[in-house]
Amino acid sequence: MGILTRATRNITRRKTRALLVIAALSLALAMLIILPPSITANQEAAQKVIDDLTADVEKQALKLNMVATQIDCYLPIVLSFDSNTRPILYPLMNVTDYAGLSLIPDVTAVIPILRQDQWAQDEYLYDVYGIPLDASFVDGFPSILPSNITAGRNLQAGDRGVVVLQEIVANQFGVDVGGTVNILGQNFKVVGIQGRGSYQGLNQYNVTAAYMSLEEAQTITNTTGQATTFHVFANSIDNVGAIANNIKAAYPSLRVELATSVINEALDLQSRANNRMQEVQNTMNQIQSTAIVEISLVVAAQGAIILLIMLYTVRERTREIGILKAIGASNTTILGQFMLEGVLLSLIAGIIGIAIGIVVASPLAYLLLPHLNQIGFDLILTEEGILTSVPPAVTITPQLILLGVGAALLLGALGSLYPAWRAARIRPAEAMRYE
Amino acid sequence: MNEVVLKIENLTKTYKLGKRDVQPLTDLNLEVKRGEFTAIMGPSGSGKTTLLNIIGCLDKPTSGTVLLDKVDVARLPESQLYKIRRDKIGFIFQNFNLLPYLNARENIELAMELAGKFKEQRKQRALKLLAMVGLSGREQHRPQRLSQGEQQRVAIARALANDPAIILADEPTGNLDKNSKQEIVKLLANLNQKQGATIIMVTHDEQIAAHAERMLFLNDGKIIK
Repeated sequence: MGILTRATRNITRRKTRALLVIAALSLALAMLIILPPSITANQEAAQKVIDDLTADVEKQALKLNMVATQIDCYLPIVLSFDSNTRPILYPLMNVTDYAGLSLIPDVTAVIPILRQDQWAQDEYLYDVYGIPLDASFVDGFPSILPSNITAGRNLQAGDRGVVVLQEIVANQFGVDVGGTVNILGQNFKVVGIQGRGSYQGLNQYNVTAAYMSLEEAQTITNTTGQATTFHVFANSIDNVGAIANNIKAAYPSLRVELATSVINEALDLQSRANNRMQEVQNTMNQIQSTAIVEISLVVAAQGAIILLIMLYTVRERTREIGILKAIGASNTTILGQFMLEGVLLSLIAGIIGIAIGIVVASPLAYLLLPHLNQIGFDLILTEEGILTSVPPAVTITPQLILLGVGAALLLGALGSLYPAWRAARIRPAEAMRYE
Repeated sequence: MNEVVLKIENLTKTYKLGKRDVQPLTDLNLEVKRGEFTAIMGPSGSGKTTLLNIIGCLDKPTSGTVLLDKVDVARLPESQLYKIRRDKIGFIFQNFNLLPYLNARENIELAMELAGKFKEQRKQRALKLLAMVGLSGREQHRPQRLSQGEQQRVAIARALANDPAIILADEPTGNLDKNSKQEIVKLLANLNQKQGATIIMVTHDEQIAAHAERMLFLNDGKIIK
């Protein structure tokens, strides 16, 4: 029956009170160990959001760099049908008729593109998509090539007898990279696959095409010397407007399309990214200040609970302290006994608090702190306005358990120091008179 | 047996009660020899408990000397006094003052634990003392499961635990029924006669005081023979 037994028995003497105190203390301690990892989790989540945003903006910037000076010219679709009563989606133009395009001031390149849709009976199959694979075009204006190559390689300058197939088209043909396809009677080697959902040029999305050299496309579709679109490139983004006007003046029948939509989209993305980053930063600031306030409150509450309960205990047991002194307990013994009781109480609560912390870390963290909207940037782009919050996963590491135990010990010791000191200082004769 | 164990000279105790100065003990002199059973009688408020508290080092005199085993305890600081209380004094109180969360044996052992005695030694002595006060077999009972007479026996056993120089009993029968009173005072007389324990007992009950070999009266803060 040592000092520890006495301390334990004293705690269990007032069971309801001990339970209430332990409940309050353990909840406080659970909060204490949950707050630091949930700040970390939120920081990681915030970093990921920022990284994703930065990557998106960079991607957009890259695309913008490629197409900012691009002007697409084509004949508007007229509702007409070919000999097989299929609609003509891409009216043909004689390239030589538009030689004047390259004479317009500040134009650096005019690149003819051929796009011819292929049908089997009444079923649309795919487009034959011809790109002039001259080194000057391919290297200087990469936006004319298919984007988002998911397997194999892209088309290169000087390529002949090869195709890049869009994934859906590759599936139709049942080929993969390295295979051979027969398109309109000619064999092509498949060198690359374009993923689904890719943008092509300024505004063409998910083109189901077989990309090849312009010459070969013209040959197999019997359209030699013809094109369906001209990609006109300006020497500077500042001159794009003037060039477009010149084109409209010189060729009133042409539809002229600028990279405006891409630029607007990029600017929009940029501003939304900035807003979002600001929002993330604000949330992080809020999280930090809330956490500091909460940690301070929890620590203060914990210390105060121990202080008050131990002061009350000392008062209540004044007579007992007198008895202990009368039978020869030293001040140090009394001090030790009451401090031990405080520390023990705190420690029991600490262990329960850690258990609570481990079990309900994530939901408790969600309750305790403001949180980031966890939806990724892509989702915000497509489903504007839908915002949900998911609490970041919070894990209690062994270090945090140690922190919890340490905090419990320290707060228990600090909170019970003054009451225990008072207990030790009680004069025995007065204590014995105390009722 | 004629050695003086307690010698009090010119003991005065004054304290403030509100704005009033109270002097329960005035210029008191007292000598107790080893092995004596002394009863101190007096009306309530005559300073009996104050005197006992001073002898027991629970309270300090305002002036005078209190030589306990030739040590002037009136001059000792608290850092020394607890050792005197632990080793030289055995207290018996009117309301027993056992610790409710300890059983009979543990209450006795606590006094020895404070004196640094070893576990087995403590246990053996506690059981022996319990047998001596007639409570064999009740060592596991906590105070609330003992009768008042039995609680006082445990308290007596506790007072004897560290083999003190002097046993101070403050109205030891004050809270007991008639039968228990007789048992307790006989137990004390027995301790005095058979084991030579030095006992100072404060009481206002003449029948109880009659068991002591020496009877003193305290009035107006002084001993009247």
